[in-house]
Amino acid sequence: MASFSQYVVKETTTNLWRNRVTTVAAIFTVMVSLFLVGGSLILGQGASNAEIKWQQGTLVTVWMAPNATSQEINAIRSQLDSFPYVHDCYYQTQLQDYEEAKHLLTATEFSVLKPEAIPSSIRCIPNQPQDAQLVIKKFTGQPGVLIPTAPTQALKNQQRTIAIAQWSVLIIASVLLVSSAVLILNTIRMAIFARKREVAVMKLVGATNWFIRVPFIFEGLLQGLIGSLMAGGLLWAGEWFWHSKSVNWAPDTLGSQMLLTSWQLVWCELVVIFLGMVIGSIGSAIAIRRFLDV
Amino acid sequence: MIKLDHVTKTYKNGTIALDDVSLEIEKGEFVFLVGSSGSGKTTFLRLLLREELPDRGTIWEAGRDIVNLPKWRVPYLRRNLGCVFQDFRLLQNKTVFENVAFALEVIGRPKSVIESQVPQVLDLVGLSHKRDNLPTELSGGEQQRVAIARAFVNRPLILLADEPTGNLDPKISEGIMSLLDRINKTGTTVVMATHDKALVDRMRLRVIELDRGHLIRDQQRGVYGIETDSGAQR
Repeated sequence: MASFSQYVVKETTTNLWRNRVTTVAAIFTVMVSLFLVGGSLILGQGASNAEIKWQQGTLVTVWMAPNATSQEINAIRSQLDSFPYVHDCYYQTQLQDYEEAKHLLTATEFSVLKPEAIPSSIRCIPNQPQDAQLVIKKFTGQPGVLIPTAPTQALKNQQRTIAIAQWSVLIIASVLLVSSAVLILNTIRMAIFARKREVAVMKLVGATNWFIRVPFIFEGLLQGLIGSLMAGGLLWAGEWFWHSKSVNWAPDTLGSQMLLTSWQLVWCELVVIFLGMVIGSIGSAIAIRRFLDV
Repeated sequence: MIKLDHVTKTYKNGTIALDDVSLEIEKGEFVFLVGSSGSGKTTFLRLLLREELPDRGTIWEAGRDIVNLPKWRVPYLRRNLGCVFQDFRLLQNKTVFENVAFALEVIGRPKSVIESQVPQVLDLVGLSHKRDNLPTELSGGEQQRVAIARAFVNRPLILLADEPTGNLDPKISEGIMSLLDRINKTGTTVVMATHDKALVDRMRLRVIELDRGHLIRDQQRGVYGIETDSGAQR
């Protein structure tokens, strides 16, 4: 068994060295494609993290008309309190909304605002994020109500943008993954041709098919593995850079909300490494099936 | 040791390589396989190696029906066979020692066995002093000796030789022949396809002659051609 493993190691490294240029090309293609696959996974996971955070903090804001009477405001407040889809509500005066706008708007935009022109509002947390639409529907057009709003559309737009980016990256990555498998296949094919005479002798002296095949399988597997480990390293470095930058970002920014936990990153890395090994195995399996006559 | 029973082999292009050939070769025999080019000698050896399968008939080798042998068992069959070819088929990037050791390595023999058996067989073929040379540094005769050492290192029951002296001059051929004779004396059955008339005539061993796939002669203590009553050969 020891001599077999020594033989496999020796033959695999010899083959890799013999075709080093194509081997390096295959490894780098695997790395780039798996880096994109990993990036897409991280993007997807980040979008999901952000969605959870947004949903946890979804607010429905019922903006009252600036000229709404206190009776109208009280009526709407009591209706909201008794509405079964609302968990909790609080009232913000015009002055409080004016102060809030100071943080949200630029200095130029804010300078044109007058406190009396800003509507007061009732902020409500729905029982479920999807209940926000029911609140909007119920209170639209009620006396004293200017407009009820929820950030649903903005969330949808952001999610759609992330999904488009994710799918675009995934499509490019898929094309590159196929290219990697073909490059690995070509490397193995060249190794098989280079060792044609050796393989013929091996067959004559009674080497088993698996004994002949194993070094070629390992060669493909190793190329996939090295490429995937390099991609994993790049992803880890990228995530580390993102984390280090996010320290200066406000917690409600998209970049902060999309941050991955350590376990999520480990999961993405494991998927990338697994995919690298699969790509390597597929490439070598096809090459062996088509070009290695044992 | 070897038994062919009504064996017929036809290639896809319609060439009949062997036609209803039946014969038996006993353990420890030395058999010359003669006949003109295209007579079926190489097909005969390829069938014994299980590189080809017959269309009809059965072949028994070392007690096994090799026609119905499952494909995965073929390597194990070949471990009982040694093969020598006209073009030596040595690995040019390996030394003499490595070429011979390779035959043991690929069937999973441990290093200790390789280190004891390879020097023994190199000694047998008279190449101990050239163990670290590459094939390109050897003469044709020496290269064929390495090929014989590789074929014999696993102590096979049968040694198949396809024109092993075809590329060598008469003097060197004599040396190769005496080496094969010595191997035969150890109990290994030797089947040698050859065009070398002088060798066959000198050895006076069993001769099997093929002609366009037909077995036309099977003679104990035979010569290369068919002897006439006056002792001349046709």
